[in-house]
Amino acid sequence: MSDWKDTAVALDHVSKAFGKKQVLQDITLSVSRQEALCIVGRSGTGKSVTLKLIIALIKPEAGRIWVDGEDITDLEGQELSRVRQKMGFLFQNAALFDFLNLHDNLALPLRRLTHKSEQDIEEIIDRVLGQVGLSGDRQKMPVELSGGMRKRAGLARALVLEPQILLVDEPSSGLDRITASEIDDLLVEQKRHTTMIIVTHDVHGGRRVGDRFAVLDQGRLAALGKPQDLEHHENATVRKLVVED
Amino acid sequence: MTLHTRNELIQFGAGAWIPEVQSLSFFVEIGPLVAALLVAGRVGAGMGASLAEMRATEQIDAIEALSVDSFKLLVVPRVVACFLALPLLTTFMDFCGVISGFLSEHFLSHISFQLYMARAFRDMEWSNFIPPTLKTAIFGFIIGAVSCFCGYTTNEGAEGVRRAATNSVVMSSLLVIATDVILVKMIFFMFPESAI
Repeated sequence: MSDWKDTAVALDHVSKAFGKKQVLQDITLSVSRQEALCIVGRSGTGKSVTLKLIIALIKPEAGRIWVDGEDITDLEGQELSRVRQKMGFLFQNAALFDFLNLHDNLALPLRRLTHKSEQDIEEIIDRVLGQVGLSGDRQKMPVELSGGMRKRAGLARALVLEPQILLVDEPSSGLDRITASEIDDLLVEQKRHTTMIIVTHDVHGGRRVGDRFAVLDQGRLAALGKPQDLEHHENATVRKLVVED
Repeated sequence: MTLHTRNELIQFGAGAWIPEVQSLSFFVEIGPLVAALLVAGRVGAGMGASLAEMRATEQIDAIEALSVDSFKLLVVPRVVACFLALPLLTTFMDFCGVISGFLSEHFLSHISFQLYMARAFRDMEWSNFIPPTLKTAIFGFIIGAVSCFCGYTTNEGAEGVRRAATNSVVMSSLLVIATDVILVKMIFFMFPESAI
């Protein structure tokens, strides 16, 4: 479809199975540039799988995936690497490299993928760590960081290449309300320059950051729209997932 | 080795051959094979487990998501390190074996260091040292490649880490022993003078 070319991310009739288990079925959705889409749903409905499909860590069984107007479904090697550089990914458990300190976690992609001087790399790391409030922790190993610090460090690493699209997997899981709110603040701040797709169980945080909600139910897209519109959706599961306690 | 062989050798009137038998057996076979099996057990298990843990905690996915080639970053340096390190470790192992043999023999027969070493290296040829030591580079490659394969390709969380560590040791040890048989035959074919 030609209209996918004008979107930041689009999934066109995407299905994904692991063995006999069908995780996603015929998902079609699109995300505009500078939009923040929250994906909500019960556990095991394929939310994280959707993010991994978008960044091509896994391939769909059926359907096409478009990123920044480009069909990435069959891309491999250098072509895929070029498209991935447009995206940042904050993993659920941050997935910091445990053999590198925080500074080197951020420096790794800059050293591998850019031709920036060490001085420029230091400046970028200083700026990004400052944004997430970890300037004083650059020499710490991941194991020395608390849950909230790990999330912020993961966000810093996802932002270090200045991605156009930020994929965020459960930014508030395992965090207390205050820390989760701080992470949400960082995402709201980032929303001004970046397209975001956020998988979350935190409706309050999701409504703060997200422009629209996509509700997945049993691997299917049950609803897509603004949260205030979905509050009156005919599907009870959708209503429960978008209404704040 | 010394303790096992000395009684038999003395019984046949070959006590003077003890240093030579020990050094030759260490340089030709025991050193390379034991070094490789120790590395397979220690380093192979470590590499398999660490890569499997990185897979389980999504660190490898994170590397890929950053557009960095995880194979080049994680696998290639480990395999190259094993390839280069094993000949060095084997040489260290060989000399440790000879020194241990001397200490054992010195306490039993009070042989001097100079005499022991003179006898140990009396008939030693370069072909007894270089080909067996270089073959351990291939052992290193096998240990590195097999362990990295077991860790890198696992996809089963904590259970996968345990399995990767076990499989790394078992598969690389068996492959090292099987490859050793082939390489010994090849060394005998290419350097007939190295056959004891």
